Amino acid sequence: MNALIEFQQVCKYYYMGDTTVTAADHICFQIYRGEFVAIVGSSGSGKSTCMNIIGCLDVPSEGIYLLNGKDVGQMNKNQLAEIRNELLGFIFQQYNLLPKLNLVENVEVPLMYAGVPKGERRERARAALEQVGLGDKWRHKPMELSGGQQQRVSIARALVGNPSVILADEPTGALDSRTGREVLAMLQDIHRRGNTVVLITHDNSIAVQAQRIIRLEDGHVVYDGPSDAPEAVVVTPRAAGGGGRPA
Amino acid sequence: MSIVESLELAVKNIVSSKVRTVLTMLGIIIGVAAVIVIVGLGNGLEGYVTDSFSDMGTNTLTVTVMSRGSTRSLDVEDMYDIVEENSEYLDLCSPSVAMSGYVKIGSDTVDSTSSLGVSEDYFEIAGVSVAQGRGLQYSDMATRAKVCVIGAYLNQAYFGGNAVGQTLRVGGQSLEIVGVLAQQDEELEEGGSDDCLYLPYTTAERITGEASTYTITMKDENYIDESVAALESSLYAVFASDDYYTVTSMSEMLETMTSMINILVGVLAGIAAISLVVGGIGIMNIMLVSVTERTREIGIRKSLGAKERYIMQQFVIEAAATSALGGIIGILLGDGLSVIASTVIARVMEETLTVSPTLAAVALAFGISVGIGILFGYLPAKKAARLNPIDALHYD
Ligand SMILES: Nc1ncnc2c1ncn2[C@@H]1O[C@H](COP(=O)(O)OP(=O)(O)OP(=O)(O)O)[C@@H](O)[C@H]1O
Ligand SMILES: [Mg+2]
Repeated sequence: MNALIEFQQVCKYYYMGDTTVTAADHICFQIYRGEFVAIVGSSGSGKSTCMNIIGCLDVPSEGIYLLNGKDVGQMNKNQLAEIRNELLGFIFQQYNLLPKLNLVENVEVPLMYAGVPKGERRERARAALEQVGLGDKWRHKPMELSGGQQQRVSIARALVGNPSVILADEPTGALDSRTGREVLAMLQDIHRRGNTVVLITHDNSIAVQAQRIIRLEDGHVVYDGPSDAPEAVVVTPRAAGGGGRPA
Repeated sequence: MSIVESLELAVKNIVSSKVRTVLTMLGIIIGVAAVIVIVGLGNGLEGYVTDSFSDMGTNTLTVTVMSRGSTRSLDVEDMYDIVEENSEYLDLCSPSVAMSGYVKIGSDTVDSTSSLGVSEDYFEIAGVSVAQGRGLQYSDMATRAKVCVIGAYLNQAYFGGNAVGQTLRVGGQSLEIVGVLAQQDEELEEGGSDDCLYLPYTTAERITGEASTYTITMKDENYIDESVAALESSLYAVFASDDYYTVTSMSEMLETMTSMINILVGVLAGIAAISLVVGGIGIMNIMLVSVTERTREIGIRKSLGAKERYIMQQFVIEAAATSALGGIIGILLGDGLSVIASTVIARVMEETLTVSPTLAAVALAFGISVGIGILFGYLPAKKAARLNPIDALHYD
C-alpha cells in the first residue's frame, strides 16, 4: 500500500539576512491511511514547519513531499489550494473561525470553495455540527461559544469535506485540561471511524494519545515509532557533538 | 464560488459595518449627486433657452447696423429695398427700435415694460395676435401716429382689461392705446412676455433716434445659409465693408447658446467627476485597510482552499458593491436635489427652469461608480489575493 503522506529528505531553510535557519533537516517519514500520528518536539524543533508542508501551505526547500502519491513541490498555487480544499482538514490552536459568520456558515466554507451547491452544503454542514454535538447552536456566532465549543466547530469544519488527512496543530493548546481531553477524545473518535489524523503538539502527555509518535529536534527526526514504547516520551539528548548538521 | 455568493458575502460585510461603508461611499455619493444635478441643470437651461428662442421664431434673422464711422448709412427704407431685392429668400421685415425710459400710466411709473418701435408686420413676425382693438398699420408708420399696442399684462394690471382708447406716456410722448395683444405666458407677470408695449417705429425714431436693428423673416427655414449670404451681400454693397453690420439667425444663436451651455455643463460635470475619482481613492484606501484588518480571515479562507481568484473576486465585488451602493444613493440624492433646485429657481427667479436629470446621465453615473469600485478595488484585492497563507494565518 502506498503511503498517504511521504517525506523524502525534506528540508526547509529560512533565510534571514545572511544567516540561514534550517527548520527541517532531511526529514523522512511515511504516514499511512488510517493512522493517528503525533508529531512532537520542543519549541523551535520544526513542528510548525512540518505541519505547513504537510498542509500544503508551504513547499519544501529541498526534498520531496508526496501526498497521495503526488509531488506537492511541483504544484502551483491553485493546485495547492485545491489539495488543501479536497484532501486536508485543518484544526488550529486558535480555532480560526470567521467571526462574522454563524456556525453553520463557518462549517460551509470549505464546501463553498469546493463548489458544492447551496442546499447540499447547508445539509452537510448541519450534519457535521450535529456530529460534534452543536447541531442546535448553528445560528450562533463563534464569539457566543466557549473555547471548547469553538474548537468543536473547527473540527466539524475540518471534517465536513471528507478530507484524507485531519491536521491538528496544538488543538488543545488554548483549552483547559478537561476540555482539552474532550477534544482529544473527539480526535480519537474521528480516527476510529477510519480517518487519518496528524496531531502536532509539544506536550508528551497529549502525544501519547496517538498511535504513533514522530519526535523532532532541531529539524531532525529523533524518534519514529509506537507511542507506547518507552523511548517515545524520553527526550533524547542532543545529537552528540551537535555538529551533525551539514554545513 | 459564484459571483452571486461573492455578492452575498460583500453585502454581509457592507451591512455589518454601516458607518464605515457610508463614510467610504461619501465621495461617490457626492460626486454622483453633483454630476446628476449639474447635467440636469444644463438640460433645464438648454430647454429654457430653446423655449425662449422658439417663442421668437427660428425662421428670423436679426440685422444690426453700426453705421457710425462709415461714410455711408442705411435707413429703414433702404432696408426694405434690400428685403425686396432678395424676396427669393426674405419675407417680412420690421425695424426694432428699443425705447429706453419708463412707461407712465397716469401717475404710475412702470419700469419693467419693454417698449419697442416696430413696423406693421412685427406681430406676424413674432407670431402674436391682437386680442382687442387693432394692431399697428402702415398708415401709423407713414403718419408717425402717436398710438401703441400693449401686452396683456399692462392691460390687466393698469387698465382693468379696458385699455383700448386710453393713453399712456413713453419717453415723454403721450400715446393712445389702440390694441391689446393676446396673452403669451401662462401667467401674467411683471417683466414677462406680456409686459410689453409696441409703437410705430417712425414714432419711436423721433423719440430715440434712427433704427439700427431689424428683424427679418425667411421664406424657407431650410435656406438659412443662403438667406444670410444674400442679405450680407446686399449690405456689403451698401457699406463696401463688412465692419458695419452683422447678420445673425435665431437658429444660429440658439446653436451657439446651446453649445456654450454644453461646454459649461461639461466643465462643471468634469469638476464634479473629480470628486468621483477622489471617492474612488477613498474606496481604495478603505479596502486596503480592510485587507490588512482581514488578513487573518484571508489566511483562514486560503487554508480552507480558497484560490487567489476567489479572494480577488470577493474583494473586487465588495469594492464594486460599495461604490454601486454609493452610486444609487448619489442618484437618489441628485434627483432629490434636482427637484429642490427646480422649486427654488421657480421661487427665486420667477422662471420655470426644470432641473431634469436625464436617464443617460443616471445610467452613466451608476456605471462610472461601479467602474471606479472595480478599478480602485483591484489593487487592494490583488494584495489580498497574494497574501502568503502562513503569514496571514499568524497575523494578529
Ligand atoms: N518564517 C520564518 N523565518 C525564519 N525562521 C523561521 C520561520 N519560521 C520558523 N523559523 C525557524 O525555524 C525553526 C523551526 O520553527 P518552527 O516554527 O517549525 O518550530 P516549532 O516546533 O513549531 O516551535 P513552536 O513549538 O514554538 O511552535 C525555528 O528555529 C524558527 O525560529
Ligand atoms: Mg509551532
